[in-house]
Amino acid sequence: MADQADTPSALDDIRVLDLAGEAGMYCTKLLAELGADVVKIEPPGGDPARGIGPFYHDEGNPNRSLYFFALNSSKRSITLDITTTDGQTLFKRLLAKADVVVETFQPGYLDGLGLGYAELCRVKPEVILCSITGFGQWGPHSRYQAPDIVPVAMSGIMYLAGFPDIAPSYAYGNQSHYCGSIQATAGILMALLRRDATGEGQQVEVSRQEALSINQETAIQYWDIRHELRRRVGAEKRMPGMGLYECKDGYVMLMVGLPGFGSPWPTLVQWMEDEGKAEDLQEERWRNPLAEVSMQLISQLFSLEVDPEWVAFWKDRLSHIEEVLVRFLLGYTKRELYEEGQKRGLLIAPVNNPKDIVESPQLDYRRWFTPVEYPDLGTTIAHPGPPYRLSETPWRVQRRASQVGEHNQEIYCGELGLSKEQLSTLSTEGII
Amino acid sequence: MQTNRLPLEGIRVVDFSWFAAGPACTEVLANHGAEVIRIECHTRVDGLRVLHPQPEGKYGLNTSGWYNNVNASKLSITLNMRYSKALDMALRLIAVSDIVAENYTPGTLEKWGFTYEKLQEVKPDIILLREPMQGSDGPHANFSGFGAVISPLAGISHLTGPSDRPPVGMGTHYTDYVINPGHAVIATLAALRHRNRTGKGQVIEVAQLESSVSVIGPALMDYAVNGRVQRRQGNRLAHAAPHGAFRCRGDDRWCVIAVFSDDQWRALCRAMGDPQWCREERFATLQCRKENEDELERLVEGWTSARTAEDVMETLQAAGVPAGVVQNAQDVLENDPHLRERGHYVYLDHPEAGRTAYDGPGFRLSKTPGRLRSPAPCIGQHTEYVCKEILGIDDEEIAQLVIEGVLM
Repeated sequence: MADQADTPSALDDIRVLDLAGEAGMYCTKLLAELGADVVKIEPPGGDPARGIGPFYHDEGNPNRSLYFFALNSSKRSITLDITTTDGQTLFKRLLAKADVVVETFQPGYLDGLGLGYAELCRVKPEVILCSITGFGQWGPHSRYQAPDIVPVAMSGIMYLAGFPDIAPSYAYGNQSHYCGSIQATAGILMALLRRDATGEGQQVEVSRQEALSINQETAIQYWDIRHELRRRVGAEKRMPGMGLYECKDGYVMLMVGLPGFGSPWPTLVQWMEDEGKAEDLQEERWRNPLAEVSMQLISQLFSLEVDPEWVAFWKDRLSHIEEVLVRFLLGYTKRELYEEGQKRGLLIAPVNNPKDIVESPQLDYRRWFTPVEYPDLGTTIAHPGPPYRLSETPWRVQRRASQVGEHNQEIYCGELGLSKEQLSTLSTEGII
Repeated sequence: MQTNRLPLEGIRVVDFSWFAAGPACTEVLANHGAEVIRIECHTRVDGLRVLHPQPEGKYGLNTSGWYNNVNASKLSITLNMRYSKALDMALRLIAVSDIVAENYTPGTLEKWGFTYEKLQEVKPDIILLREPMQGSDGPHANFSGFGAVISPLAGISHLTGPSDRPPVGMGTHYTDYVINPGHAVIATLAALRHRNRTGKGQVIEVAQLESSVSVIGPALMDYAVNGRVQRRQGNRLAHAAPHGAFRCRGDDRWCVIAVFSDDQWRALCRAMGDPQWCREERFATLQCRKENEDELERLVEGWTSARTAEDVMETLQAAGVPAGVVQNAQDVLENDPHLRERGHYVYLDHPEAGRTAYDGPGFRLSKTPGRLRSPAPCIGQHTEYVCKEILGIDDEEIAQLVIEGVLM
């Protein structure tokens, strides 16, 4: 990363005071890796997220949470109890030199501490205050408890995921935190552009329910336009070559035959033929039904309320083709199918697991994983890399995830001018 | 105090992107004041225009709910880029724009001669946003794909769903709507700020694979550091129990319940009327509940299945237990009292599709809130406007370009 150290950053003049819990950690990481100086303010004793696994070498030590590392690189860390009067005074002194505050408390919590938006404006009139919560700052559900699964359910996306015979599926990995943080970061940048132009700050409000609901794809429109309810469909396939298939070592996703998307069915049959596994698919009677497949037909096959007899007619005509395809795919690994399939222009993708991704030749070629040094652990850890690449102001990891209060002295003494004695007193009193 | 001014007023975007992920990015820019001009073509129609849902009896290029939802507030022109006159017109448009967006397979822009250097010749500080599948270089750069294969490729499908079922993922092209377009918006706004401060444009590349794997970071580090290949765990979490969706009264009705602490557990027991089983030793601590989770879930479902999902949610939330209805689209659009009060969905009148619902902005600015300024454009609706008002082409020449097929 040293070679990038001299490139400019889009946010190198911006300081962020980060009061955010889990739901906002990705937001302030994004800001930090665009160059902002993010000061993470943890309660004395540290952010509870430090106790969440997985841990480095499975050691359940709060300074070794990989979950925390992944989401907190590039930030500095100080401790401060903002529920105390002295803590609030120090917070306001920090605010005087800051541009953005990000928080994820229950609506009204900061107002109760005397640190609401109006109060912050008295200290720093052009401040941008971003609040990320489960349901936004107002409305009948705004005080609902909202661990990730609650907004995921309430957003409509969970209803679409999984199998019709069992409960809907919960998306992996705190997606409401990611979607909420992405929306928040976009909102903060929008507000910064506005502030640059007019000198005025404002509030950015994110509801994780709303942030996620945009992922419903067409479900809202199906209901709105046709009064048809999109439901979860599991592994159901309506066309051979379009959907999930088992292979030798896992699963692959095929999207073959979609007009305009990659090579058509005859290419797949030719591949099977080359491997001596096309069976009778080169015969005229199996070519015809596939030749009739059009975008309109596919669209109709996948639409929600279709004539079951018509679907059955198509399924019947295509079921033999499906059986031969299933037998063919079972003979290869997902990587073999991916690379040979793509070589032939067929839209095939492996269902990758974390190992496949870490070992991906594409991500390796582009040096996506980013080594970050952890001197205290005596090691280097591969961090998730850039979500985007900017040619002039590149994404950049500024530092490893900080330890609790690692920058207390640097910031309280170095910047606010507190003496070491004062710092130690505040520490004894539990304020820092 | 709110103003009528939007943060991106005065910014013009030449939008070559199509399908979902690209237009969903420029949608955010359009809703915040940018003038986004979709460059479309009758010989290569944006696939979303012909897909469902469409209103009964009105199937056409301008009535797709999928297309319309990600293209509100934009203009559309038709320009057939196979003609050199079209290339010239596109360059003239770029010369008076701020951002060019595209999500073609690598090489398409180059085929037109639109390298970044070429674009800089007509607009030195232009920002070029590119959203290829896997990036412009590397062994898989030319591999094809779209939203449907990104979730499997990026590990999201492998990690989502029940452990004893195939990895079907989330039932949608999940990364097309917030993850990839959202990252692209962030990068674009950062580039705009840099341009405003320094006068320099730049090239942004959002490889959809790289942007998508960013949201499973901890699982990737768990393998890189500990060699553990995480698998899908259904609806359960290691540090919570119960944690999942529970069947409620009615057809396919479910409510999620998430209990992390012993306080929440006791509150759940009280809300269920303190049944005898709640006091059993095997559910006393989180560890006990994890060990007996199958039985725990069966007993909780015994309570939920006699009640409506809304009743379960309201009762539990009032008691301090995290809970939420697994809402379907009808619930989200019409019944959720919270979303209704907040006015999240916006209804717009479209000349062909009629009055339909659109997603509102994903974030709310207090002084300069984004807003949907117009319904999605019909294909080529603004060709004449853009030719005349922006490019200064007269009626006669426009007619000639139409006859030649350039504006089709």
